[in-house]
Amino acid sequence: MFHWLEKHPFFFAVGVFVVIAYAGLIEIVPNFAQASRPVIGTKPYTTLQLAGRDVYIKNSCNSCHSQLIRPFKAETDRYGHYSLSGEYAYDRPFLWGSERTGPDLHRVGNYRTTQWHENHMMDPAKIVEGSIMPAYPWLFKNKVDLDTAYAEQLTDWEFFGVPYNKPVPTKDGGTITVKMGKSVAESHALALAEAKKVVANMHNQDVKDAVARGEIPEIVALIAYLNSLK
Amino acid sequence: MNKLYLWGIIIAAAMLGATYATLGYLKNGLNGDIINILAIAGAAALVIITIFVVIKYVRQMQVDQASGELADESWDNIGEYKNPLPFGWAIMFLGTMVWGIWYWTIGYPVNAFSQIGQYNKEVKTLNSAFEKKYANIKGDELVNMGESVYLVECVACHGLNADGNNEKDAADLNQRISEKSVKYVINHGSNNLKSAYPGGMPAGMASGADVDKLAKYVAGGLKGEKPAAWATCAGCHGDNGKGQPFVAPDIAGWNQKFIVNILDNGKKGAIGKMPVMDRLNPKQKEAVAAYVMSLSEGE
Amino acid sequence: MENRPLEYDYTVAKMFMFTTIVLGIVGMSIGVFIAFELAFPGLNTIFGKTIAEYTAFGRLRPLHTDSVAFGFTLSGIWATWYYVGQRVLKVSMAESKFLMFIGKLHFWLYIIGVAAVVVSLFMGITTSKEYAEFEWPIDIAIVVVWVLWGVSVFGLIGIRREKSLYISIWYYIATFLGVGMLYLFNNMEVPTILATSPIGETDIGAWYHSVSMYAGTNDALVQWWYGHNAVAFVFTVPIVAMIYYFLPKESGQAIYSYKLSLLSFWGLMFVYLWAGGHHLLYSTVPDWVQTMGSIFSVILILPSWGSAINMLLTMKGEWQQVAASPLIKFMILASTFYMFSTLEGPIQAIKSVNAIAHFTNWIVGHVHDGTLGWVGFMIIAALYHMAPRVFKRELYSKGLMAAQFWIQTLGIVLYFTSMWIAGITQGMMWRAHDEFGNLAYSFMDTVNVLHPYYALRGVGGILYLTGFLMFAYNIYKTMSARPVEESELQNASPMGA
Ligand code: HEC
Ligand code: HEC
Ligand code: HEC
Ligand code: HEM
Ligand code: HEM
Ligand SMILES: [Ca+2]
Ligand SMILES: [Ca+2]
Ligand SMILES: [Cu+2]
Repeated sequence: MFHWLEKHPFFFAVGVFVVIAYAGLIEIVPNFAQASRPVIGTKPYTTLQLAGRDVYIKNSCNSCHSQLIRPFKAETDRYGHYSLSGEYAYDRPFLWGSERTGPDLHRVGNYRTTQWHENHMMDPAKIVEGSIMPAYPWLFKNKVDLDTAYAEQLTDWEFFGVPYNKPVPTKDGGTITVKMGKSVAESHALALAEAKKVVANMHNQDVKDAVARGEIPEIVALIAYLNSLK
Repeated sequence: MNKLYLWGIIIAAAMLGATYATLGYLKNGLNGDIINILAIAGAAALVIITIFVVIKYVRQMQVDQASGELADESWDNIGEYKNPLPFGWAIMFLGTMVWGIWYWTIGYPVNAFSQIGQYNKEVKTLNSAFEKKYANIKGDELVNMGESVYLVECVACHGLNADGNNEKDAADLNQRISEKSVKYVINHGSNNLKSAYPGGMPAGMASGADVDKLAKYVAGGLKGEKPAAWATCAGCHGDNGKGQPFVAPDIAGWNQKFIVNILDNGKKGAIGKMPVMDRLNPKQKEAVAAYVMSLSEGE
Repeated sequence: MENRPLEYDYTVAKMFMFTTIVLGIVGMSIGVFIAFELAFPGLNTIFGKTIAEYTAFGRLRPLHTDSVAFGFTLSGIWATWYYVGQRVLKVSMAESKFLMFIGKLHFWLYIIGVAAVVVSLFMGITTSKEYAEFEWPIDIAIVVVWVLWGVSVFGLIGIRREKSLYISIWYYIATFLGVGMLYLFNNMEVPTILATSPIGETDIGAWYHSVSMYAGTNDALVQWWYGHNAVAFVFTVPIVAMIYYFLPKESGQAIYSYKLSLLSFWGLMFVYLWAGGHHLLYSTVPDWVQTMGSIFSVILILPSWGSAINMLLTMKGEWQQVAASPLIKFMILASTFYMFSTLEGPIQAIKSVNAIAHFTNWIVGHVHDGTLGWVGFMIIAALYHMAPRVFKRELYSKGLMAAQFWIQTLGIVLYFTSMWIAGITQGMMWRAHDEFGNLAYSFMDTVNVLHPYYALRGVGGILYLTGFLMFAYNIYKTMSARPVEESELQNASPMGA
């Protein structure tokens, strides 16, 4: 049979394709729906947080940082509760990473603060002796791309049914509604209001001034995102 | 013995020696941890198997001869023997397949293994082992334990010297409290420790020059001359500043309950925000508090 | 016409040889640079604060991985395809104007794709997925390039004179199908320009941005089903295609066993795809998917080793050739590293071992055992074999080649030993607890320990890169500084001293 296939390239190719194709189906399909369901307490990202997530991706923070706490005591001691599938329901793309050159960040919002991130991102080695993380001074100057983040949010909402402007359950039994602007202008206004809360805890005068003018530097969005990781 | 084997042994020994030497870094070596042991065993198997299997084939290059019946075809002058499968290889392939099927159907069928179950067991075993160990530690040993918690959890903000210098924007733990912080509390009030002191401290209990005097007095450890305005404060904190349960904390010196309270509630003050560190267990909190208190003992 | 050898047309092969070398130099130089960034973080800003954004580790890392995988390696695959394909199918590209045109179009579109990738990654336009960072406009270009290559493969097969397909062709076909299928599914994404705000605004934000079709755990599953098999179908399958041609051809030996070729091929095809779960051990994907990934990884040792053993046995009794020819040394060491990394991978895929290895530099070590030792060496060997034949000139220097071999081997040894030790140390330190049951080490303790290993790895990288530059020089001198040969040699590359 194989000899025959080797003389008939079309059937050979079909054979190869069949052999390689179905493993994927069996790995991915059975659990697909289950894995899409959020756990209680998981909220969609706000426009500002999404913009910060895009900053995270743009700078490939995921090439050094994981966002996946594995169920080992050593990891839960260091980073907090092990990660649950449903917590990632709104993560498009997922950001688990495959290297831990730096620590895991899946719950960094629990044990680091706005101010700490501000200092750290400006010059990590100054805050953590011996750190090999690069400094990110340009984040304090570049303005974040809110429009793209808003378009991303709209895509999540239109194509994937992410529950914006709808109550979602919280851990304490209540609900919370994450707002999404009805227009570009409204999304900017919402993001700016959130940014103001972030800069209230920051030092950098240029950043504060920028936000006062209605512009949002990348660092503000990034911190909003990092703080949301809990 | 052939030179190749000698080389094989040297290389394998060098790799394993290097691996073994790295264990020297680890405070407790393999720590009796099965995962550590398996990883080292896997690494050893990897080097040894690869080296000696390759040597086997290199020996064949050296002493054996190509033989067998050639196939009729040849592609760009490349011929092909009709030799049978190498026996060892075929047996192993079959063996792993059988093992795979066994594992999948009988050994660990779909839901037979749960990583969360494994985790719960791991946590239980470790916790009970350590609970026994540290149930009765006190004094210096408690401080040592606290230091080890401090080095992992707190250094990022408070620094190796615990001075939380300006760049770090965290409190200097070598002293009870700074003038700046006292002033801030007087001017803004404070209500971080709701569970311990439900009423909190209202803002504006003093004003003007009194604030400076009070700040100096409190930050100085309540030594020297009492400013007149201290009377207001004493109402809650007590004349000696030692505080009262449910009313106000001790501000004359560190005390364990206060520090544990801060770990449980976080603190927002003059310097910034300290996050809630409640993932530590009670013994760890007690220990790290003992460590913080030990920092300013010498003075 | 049977009396005269066919005149094969190597135009397209030469073009891809050129990009193999250029993108190899680019990718490996970036590799060396980022390696040293981890050892000496000051390098992140060495080109000045103003362009630090473009030279920081995070921006450059995907440029390294993509330029070596999709620049160096893919070019190498295509350079050899446009050489080997003609020869084992016994047709010349010159016989079909159409295929010639497709081949050139394939090359030029690929160049455009490469340029787009470089620009976009420098700008930070990425979807973050490893080995699939590109946004949808580039995805589309890649699919077109891929289809063109497919036309070339099946076009050439369609007009072949050799009825039955040689082993290398099996592997090239599998590469085409495998990558095609995987790439499509992993890149399912919705462009954000399709979104409309509730009040009807459109065209919001960057036109090239997109959102992945899958979220969270599902996204991870699809990504590593892809990622693992991108390794399979870029770093393994086509490289096996190369060794099955170049080793017997260079040595003049017949393949040891057809049966072994056959079982290894179909075994590899069947088993490889199931092993992707080993990238997700102890993650939030279901336990049984993980278990499956581990089992199939262990089974995968055998079909992988099958090809390597077949190659080593092909050289049975030919030790004098190995000793005399640096070109054959490259290939023998390549199969050895292939065996090493295909045993290392399965061992790292065992759950308990992965508990230590995952997220550490041991994985990075494993990656480079495969890529430097197997992929790099095999492509270098292939190009060395091809050069005298496509340029019709004797190879410039055998001495240089031998020196290159030893320098690069030393480079790999430094790379993998340093990362091996670094990874195992790191993994154990993360897990360690002290006598009180607290974590024994802060994260920074593990960072500090790694410093010498990071530096050593960088040195290994410099050696490997140096060797690669020697290779580039050797090829350059071959094409420019040697008299044209009269006739083509069948076996063993001609080599000046
Ligand atoms: C070269 C690798 C590298 C890159 C790239 C990198 N980091 Fe880090 N990161 C580290 C290391 C190492 C540490 C630990 C030392 C320290 O705290 O500085 C760290 C620490 C951190 C921490 C503190 C976490 C904790 O638990 O203490 C945060 C938050 C962080 N990084 C965020 C980021 C963000 C956001 C980016 C991208 C914009 C980024 N990092 C890019 C290596 C990196
Ligand atoms: C009504 C009762 C009350 C009075 C009066 C009062 N305090 Fe307090 N004080 C508190 C409470 C309660 C806290 C704990 C606040 C918290 O939970 O954050 C506190 C906290 C403090 C702290 C902060 C301790 C730390 O380390 O963060 C300082 C300093 C302090 N008081 C000084 C003063 C001084 C000086 C005065 C007089 C001007 C004063 N207090 C008057 C109730 C009081
Ligand atoms: C993310 C940063 C951060 C981490 C981590 C952190 N702290 Fe703090 N801590 C602070 C900041 C900021 C303050 C100052 C709050 C203020 O008074 O403004 C503070 C204040 C404190 C205080 C109160 C000092 C006082 O005089 O009121 C104590 C005690 C303390 N930290 C102990 C710890 C211990 C113990 C740990 C580790 C288990 C820890 N901290 C971890 C940031 C941090
Ligand atoms: C000069 C030689 C090279 C050096 C110094 C080098 C260095 C590096 C470094 C520093 C990293 C990042 C590791 C980390 O994040 O910790 C890396 C990743 C990687 N490199 Fe290389 N590299 C070299 C050659 C190559 C070649 C030739 C290939 C492929 C053919 C390759 C493929 C990869 C891949 C796939 C990764 C990603 C690994 C992962 O994510 O686990 N490298 N390399
Ligand atoms: C039998 C064959 C192989 C198996 C079972 C295998 C297994 C593995 C495992 C378990 C990991 C680590 C996943 C993690 O914990 O992060 C890994 C990573 C990797 N392997 Fe292999 N491996 C094999 C062969 C190869 C070969 C031949 C190469 C060629 C270069 C290779 C390249 C890689 C790369 C690039 C990664 C890194 C992926 C990432 O970015 O995280 N592997 N492999
Ligand atoms: Ca990776
Ligand atoms: Ca894409
Ligand atoms: Cu894999």
